[in-house]
Amino acid sequence: MTTPAPAAAKTYDLSFARWVRDNVNGGDKLNLCMQCGACSGSCPIGVQMDYGPRKLFMMIRAGMKEEVLSANTQWNCTSCYRCVVRCPRGVPVTYILQDLAAKSAEFGYAKGPHENKNFAQAFWWSAATFGRTDERLVTMRYFFSLGFGEGFKRAMANLKTAIGMVKTGRMHIGLPHMTKGRKGLKAALAKAREIEQRN
Amino acid sequence: MSEKKPGVYLCKGCGISDAVDVGALEKVGKNEFRIGHCVVSDALCSPESVASMQKDVADGAVNRMVVGACSPRVMADKFRFDGVPVVRANLREQVAWSQPAHEEDTEMLAADSIRMAAAQLAKTQQPTPAALGEISRTILVVGGGVTGLTAALEAAQSGYDALLVEKSDALGGWSNKWSMRAPHAPPYRDIYGNDIEALIAKVKANGRVRILTNATVAKTSGQPGAFDVVIAHGGQEVTEKVGAIVVATGWRPYDATKLTHLGYGASPDVVTGIEFEAMLAKGAPVKPSNGAPVKNIAFLQCAGSRDPNHLPYCSSVCCTASIKQALQVVKGDKDAMAYIVYEELRTPGTAEEFYREAQRNGVVFMKGKATSVDGKAMTVSYSDELLGEDVPLGGLDLIVLATGMVPNSTNVDAPAIEPEKSEAQLKDDINPVAPIKVSGYAHGEGSPWPHIDKGVPPGGPILNLQYRQGPHIPILADGFSDSHYICFPYETRRTGIYTAGPVRRPMDMAESAEDATGAVLKAIQALEGGAIGSSVHPRVGDLTFPKIGHEKCTKCRRCTVECPFGAIDEDEQGRPTVNFARCRRCGTCMGACPVQTITFDNYNPQMVNDMIEANEIPDEFSEKPRILVLACENDAYPAIDMAGIARSHWSPFVRIVPVRCLGSVTLQWISTALQKGYDGIMLMGCKSGDDYQCHFVKGSALAKERLGKVGETLKSLALEQERVSFEEMSIADSCRAPTVLDAFAKLVGDLPPNPMKGF
Amino acid sequence: MAAGQNGAGPASQTILVVGGGIAGVTAAVEAAEAGQDVILIEREAALGGRVTKLNRYFPKLCHPTCGLEINYQRIRKNPRIRVMTMCEVQGISGGRGDYKVSVQRHPRFVNERCTACGACANATETMVENPFNYGLDKVKAAYLPHEHAFPMRYVVAPEAIAAGEGEKLKSACAYGALDPDDKGETFDLHVGAVVWATGWQPYDPKNLDVYSYVHSRDIITNVEMERLAAHDGPTHGKILRPSNGEPAKKVALIQCAGSRDLNHLPYCSRICCLGSLKHAAYVREQYPDAEVHIYYIDIRAHDKLEAFYDRVRADPQVKFIKSKPAHIRVGEDGRPMLHGERTIDREIYAEPYDLVVLATGMQPSAVAGYRPTMGLVADEYGFLVPVEGDGEGMFSAGVASGPLDVSMSVQSATAAALKAIQAVRNA
Repeated sequence: MTTPAPAAAKTYDLSFARWVRDNVNGGDKLNLCMQCGACSGSCPIGVQMDYGPRKLFMMIRAGMKEEVLSANTQWNCTSCYRCVVRCPRGVPVTYILQDLAAKSAEFGYAKGPHENKNFAQAFWWSAATFGRTDERLVTMRYFFSLGFGEGFKRAMANLKTAIGMVKTGRMHIGLPHMTKGRKGLKAALAKAREIEQRN
Repeated sequence: MSEKKPGVYLCKGCGISDAVDVGALEKVGKNEFRIGHCVVSDALCSPESVASMQKDVADGAVNRMVVGACSPRVMADKFRFDGVPVVRANLREQVAWSQPAHEEDTEMLAADSIRMAAAQLAKTQQPTPAALGEISRTILVVGGGVTGLTAALEAAQSGYDALLVEKSDALGGWSNKWSMRAPHAPPYRDIYGNDIEALIAKVKANGRVRILTNATVAKTSGQPGAFDVVIAHGGQEVTEKVGAIVVATGWRPYDATKLTHLGYGASPDVVTGIEFEAMLAKGAPVKPSNGAPVKNIAFLQCAGSRDPNHLPYCSSVCCTASIKQALQVVKGDKDAMAYIVYEELRTPGTAEEFYREAQRNGVVFMKGKATSVDGKAMTVSYSDELLGEDVPLGGLDLIVLATGMVPNSTNVDAPAIEPEKSEAQLKDDINPVAPIKVSGYAHGEGSPWPHIDKGVPPGGPILNLQYRQGPHIPILADGFSDSHYICFPYETRRTGIYTAGPVRRPMDMAESAEDATGAVLKAIQALEGGAIGSSVHPRVGDLTFPKIGHEKCTKCRRCTVECPFGAIDEDEQGRPTVNFARCRRCGTCMGACPVQTITFDNYNPQMVNDMIEANEIPDEFSEKPRILVLACENDAYPAIDMAGIARSHWSPFVRIVPVRCLGSVTLQWISTALQKGYDGIMLMGCKSGDDYQCHFVKGSALAKERLGKVGETLKSLALEQERVSFEEMSIADSCRAPTVLDAFAKLVGDLPPNPMKGF
Repeated sequence: MAAGQNGAGPASQTILVVGGGIAGVTAAVEAAEAGQDVILIEREAALGGRVTKLNRYFPKLCHPTCGLEINYQRIRKNPRIRVMTMCEVQGISGGRGDYKVSVQRHPRFVNERCTACGACANATETMVENPFNYGLDKVKAAYLPHEHAFPMRYVVAPEAIAAGEGEKLKSACAYGALDPDDKGETFDLHVGAVVWATGWQPYDPKNLDVYSYVHSRDIITNVEMERLAAHDGPTHGKILRPSNGEPAKKVALIQCAGSRDLNHLPYCSRICCLGSLKHAAYVREQYPDAEVHIYYIDIRAHDKLEAFYDRVRADPQVKFIKSKPAHIRVGEDGRPMLHGERTIDREIYAEPYDLVVLATGMQPSAVAGYRPTMGLVADEYGFLVPVEGDGEGMFSAGVASGPLDVSMSVQSATAAALKAIQAVRNA
């Protein structure tokens, strides 16, 4: 895999768009975007994004590498697939955002305490370790990854919610739930990593 | 002529006999008009009744008929007997269905309907057509581009000769310059080779097509079936007889030197789409300035089109053309970048797939307006609407301006002939961009494109018509040649002359070819119509034509000036001469003639005069006013009919006379009606003005204008101005028609009775 | 294959036109006026097709019936044209100059003796959805298709016969025109060439589930809007909210409802932008205080029609919003609420309206009914395009051949008429 092209001057520069096309999952379909806005309008958390998917895609086209890779758009996607289902041009918006997030992290655009990245990493740790997500452990790992002080502050702020969840059986105390055959899972993940690195 | 044997046929069906005393109507025919042969049927349209009418004709008992039944708009096929004039009295829609049953006023209305029909029949003759007989079956095609070539070929394939006249020295027109063509067939995404050579070869090989290059039309006179065309060719003028003309003079690119704000002229690397096409035809494009390969290219759409300072319209083809060129660039060079800067991307219909194809291949589409171009730095300043910021598009090797199409509706290489007359003629037209003024929906005064009101295209006429109406084919306010551009796109105001291709509307090659094919069919109809003396659209098949009584004619020239179709010329003595094959039979000349000496065999001033006089006018003490409505038979009359179909009622004092067009209404009829004692007169017809809806273009406008002169007459008779009124009535006004009639009846009823009654 | 080659009989000079909309009517009259015999068959009870259900045409805002009236006059005057309504093609065999066309006539229950007096309508008590108004209102089950119907003849809906009213209707008719036992029939026509002018159907708005067409009566389609604005429509031309009959003072017009969408109609239907501009004019004409918002991707006011776009743009109460709305929900007040992103300023909106009009696209009718298997081929969208060089006498015209506006359909039909004439004359 090649690294993204150097940041363009403030002008249209297709080299970043081409890099996205060649290296980002689903990027080859991105050209088909006609900027109708159905994706951004459909997004349940679009208001929380720096840019909706539509504008992010236009920025890719315009060669705005720095702004695109530093955006929170790709980290906020919840994979509800509404945009994918509705896109009139068959652009796999969700895949593109997911892979853009991975690329942002890989090339160091999600440095330091980064809410979405850190949450994603905590989520992945739990899934890869136990084969399940444990709300308690994911949350604590995510909170404290933002620094001890911040972690403690957030844990306290959410204590009431946590107790409520425990009381209603929505969160349990004790050993984390685990899937059977975690050895297989680990082997599968290792193989996946190997394949990824080979590419 | 054989003896006139009229018959009156009355129908009792569909509620007619429930509403009126049909026996009394029979008496009107027998006693007042002395028509012995009166027949009453329970259902006149039944096969049995029709058969017995047929038998009466065959037996020689009748040779002309009044049919008192339903509207002339229905059952026309049933009451059609060879060689028998049939006049319909509308007893159903406009009496039985719209008036209270058996009231005195209803009976009077029904009786008057029969009287009017009988009076009409008395003045109706079977038309004797003015057939040309010997005609030319050659179709002249002016312009040798894709439209003209197709027209010539289609004419030939239909069994007609074609004479193809091309101004330049080669056939093919702009199509010659195209390197490749955009798709118009499935899968709608593949560029394909320019096949114009094949079309040219086919045309050249066809024995029915005669080709004259370096040739222009110097003069055109005559009429469909028999045009005399003088062609200037090789320094000589030759006269050719042709039957019909297809004008396919095409277009030219908008003058890019007017686009300095888009950098044209600042650098050889700023070119027009046409110029770039020539570069593509030579192979991989290189920078004109230094021969370096083109790696970064920007296409600026709407260069001159959709611009208040340049062309008001969308040139339609430029989006697809730029997409095609961009695809050629990126497919030819994987590293090349192509940007298309657009405001609205217009790839209508299946061309949407071509747009996607360009995107798939990496062409970048940018929505926004190019505000300026620095030709030296090769940078486009452009405000990106989607990013919400100004993005300078720099480092370009080539900037392509997608210039629009300007119609060749005049010959720019020729001087204007009689410039004053040309201007008056060209401006005498609808303005397609005038504000909407229907039902009060209007925003701002005047056109948003004020410059085009003044815009008479430069140059001389294409055909140089030797017509009283001037040398041009009428040109619409946006510069395109005449076309009724919705329902009847081929109709021009010069009969037998059809415009096709981009000269009448921006269109691409495939559409131009189709347009040419349609125009050839219209040309065939026009010349064949001339042969038998039959009218073309909209009164197709009408064999009547205006006859001018020269003994009464005062040579006032109103008929020659007002004919919307330029059908009447003046001879050396200034007398009007009718080119009947050019005539569309609207009767505008008849309405114009101040001495009522223009007549049609079945429609003439005396006939309507007699119809007006045939009605009984109750005396001034009866409190039964009479209102004459002269209604356009194409729109107002059907609207009133449909009000009847909906069983709406209106004033029984109204007497409706259908007219071919309000343009045919002569003021004499109004004066007759006033003298006869009618209390009010209403002209009902189509919308006039910018968005005119008159099938004869300016009939209703002329009627309105003429009516302006009635004021003086009324004053001299000491009559109120309100007695004569003009009402715009569209065919969809069936709900409004009764209200309008009732309101006018009330207004007239509130006036004192016409003092002329009983004189 | 030219006639005679298959030995089936002499070449027929008759042209069959399938479909009686503006393209079919045009093809028929143009061919007949050039001296050809024409049979015009139409599936519905009257001619006029889609255009007869339009209130007005862009850009002149004139009425379709105006041009249709002239065309019907041309048919009435021309004995060369035979019109057959309620007929559909079932199959075709043979070759150019010698086609055998099998035609199915659907029962009308009213024969040619009908005078359009309306006695049957008075006699029936059954009501059916009014097809002329796209089911927005009801009509007596014995009805005149509409006031401008050609031929002007009544039709009885099968529902009236099913309700056992057949004999009652028969005895109400004084002219022997009622035939409750009409079963329809199948018959063959021998023709030399065929013009397919089978037109289009509105794309089914139920397929656009995000636009909640089935959830609110105040979400209608563009063809329904035409009926709402027409004097002979369900509201006599008043643009009212179907849910409560209140004036629609805030109206959203949604472009590309189905068109330019790979999930629905991949092509652009061409007419919807101008249709919506016209709808904006309808609303603004009726209500001086009304607001109209047009949601669009690109406004495609091609060629001279740009002038119409300019006219509407000059109205400050018509706003153009570049956005494909994401979805429509029904708000708490019962009004449809549009959700989406305004692409120019990236605002996420939730905007309530009195009335939402979906500019649904045109889908070729040939996607459903019979379509020819020679001479023409359906493209992936269902439009009938020529098979080059096979020598057949089959031609498509109007929207059967591609998404066209009225003017272009007439152009296409006139061209097809000449091609058909050539086909029979050279057979």
